[in-house]
Amino acid sequence: MNLVDIEELTVRYGRPRTPSVLDRVSLAVPEGSVYVLVGRNGAGKSSLVRCLLGEQRPAAGRALLLGGDAWRERARLLRGVGVVPEEPDAPPSMTARQLARFCSGLYDSWDGAGLSERLKRFGVPEDVPFGQLSKGQKGHVLLSLCLAGSPRLLVLDDPTLGLDPVARRAVFDELIVDLSERGTTVFLTSHDLAGVEGIADRIGLLQAGRLAIDEEMETLKQRFRRLRISGGAGPVPGIETLRPVSTATRAWGWEAVVSAWDEDRPPSGLPESVEVSALTLEEIFLSLSTETPR
Amino acid sequence: MSRNLRIDPADSRPIWRQIEEGVRHLVASGALLAGAPVPSVRDLARDLQINPATVSKAYQRLTDAGVLAVRRGEGTYVSDAPPKLPDAERSRRLLQGALRYASLAVTIGAGRDEAAETLDEAWRTLLSGGAPEEDTEE
Repeated sequence: MNLVDIEELTVRYGRPRTPSVLDRVSLAVPEGSVYVLVGRNGAGKSSLVRCLLGEQRPAAGRALLLGGDAWRERARLLRGVGVVPEEPDAPPSMTARQLARFCSGLYDSWDGAGLSERLKRFGVPEDVPFGQLSKGQKGHVLLSLCLAGSPRLLVLDDPTLGLDPVARRAVFDELIVDLSERGTTVFLTSHDLAGVEGIADRIGLLQAGRLAIDEEMETLKQRFRRLRISGGAGPVPGIETLRPVSTATRAWGWEAVVSAWDEDRPPSGLPESVEVSALTLEEIFLSLSTETPR
Repeated sequence: MSRNLRIDPADSRPIWRQIEEGVRHLVASGALLAGAPVPSVRDLARDLQINPATVSKAYQRLTDAGVLAVRRGEGTYVSDAPPKLPDAERSRRLLQGALRYASLAVTIGAGRDEAAETLDEAWRTLLSGGAPEEDTEE
C-alpha cells in the first residue's frame, strides 16, 4: 500500500490564470520506503508538503495521505502521521516534559520511555522551556515527540536545515534507529543531498513546479556518469545516445555528464582515453541544474 | 569493523555491494576472523549513515553466500569455515568475478600479462593481511 499518493497535483496561488506553483505532479511512497524530495528554493516543495498535510487546497488533482484525501479528512488522517515542520514550533513556555504529557493524550499509542531515551541521546534537557532551546534542539524535541507516537508515516520538511553538522548527524542517527526498529515509512524534503544520499530509497526532483526526476536511488546513480577526455579531443562522436545533460570544454580537455549510461553495456565507440566516473547525488543535481534550457 | 568499511558515494557500485565486497575483503584478508561478531544492522547503518535496509540486503547476501552466519538471538558472526560450494557453482562465481576484473583491465587499457601479474600481487597482499587498496572506479 502507498502511504502517500500525490495524483496530478496542481497548486496555484491567486487568480485562476496565474502560473501554477505545482504542475500536475504525481508521486507515490509505498509503505516501508524512504522518499526524499529535493529541489531548489521556490521549486514547489513547501506547497507539496502543505497539500500533503491538508493545509493547502489543490487547484486540481489530490494528495492522498494513508489512503485518504488530505484536504477533506485532515484531522483524522494526521493522527497516524508524525510531522516535523520546517520551522519547529511549539508554545515557548512549555518544557519538553510538559509537551510530552500534552501530546501523549493525542495519540493512540505513546512510548514515553523511548521518548526520554531519545531526548537523552540528543542531549536535550526535559525541563527547559521550548522557547529557550536552540534551533537544533527544537527540531530534536519535535522529532522525538512525533516518534513517540509510533506513526505509520513520518513527514519531515527539511529537518536538517540550518543545523550544525553534529545536530544534523543526530537527526539522521535517530531516523536510522527508527527505520531499523520499526521500518517506518518516511517522506522528507531536503537541501542536504550528502545527508540523504545513503538513506533515500527513492528520490524526486522538483524543478519549477514539475517533477523532473522520480526514480529509485540506485537506478538513478547507475545511469549517470561523468566522461572526461584530456587533450585536444573534442566531443565524443555519438554521445547523444548517452543523453548528455551537460557538456563543457575545460582547460585540460572536455567533459560531459551523461544520463543514460549502462554499466553492463558501455558504448563501443568511446575513445580509449576516456575516463568514466560515477557521481554523487549532489553532483548529479548540479549537472541537471546547469542544463541548457531548450 | 565499521572503521574499516568505507562507503563512497562517488563509487560506481551500489552501497549494498560496497558493503558486501568490503566485508568479503575484511574476511579474506584476516581482518575479520572466523567466529568474530559483526555489528548489528542498526549500528552499522548508524555508523555509515545509511538506510538499515541497505545493510540488511548486504548481510542477507553475505549470509546466503556463507560468509556470515546468524545465531538466533545473538547476532551475526563471520562463518567458521569458508562455505562449501558445489564445484560448478564455485567455477561460475569465479568466472563472474574474473569477467568483471578482465573488463576493468580492458577498459583502462591494461594488457593480459599486466592484469595477471596484478592479480598475483593482489593475492599476496591479501594473504599478508595488507590494507585494501583505495577504491576508485570499478
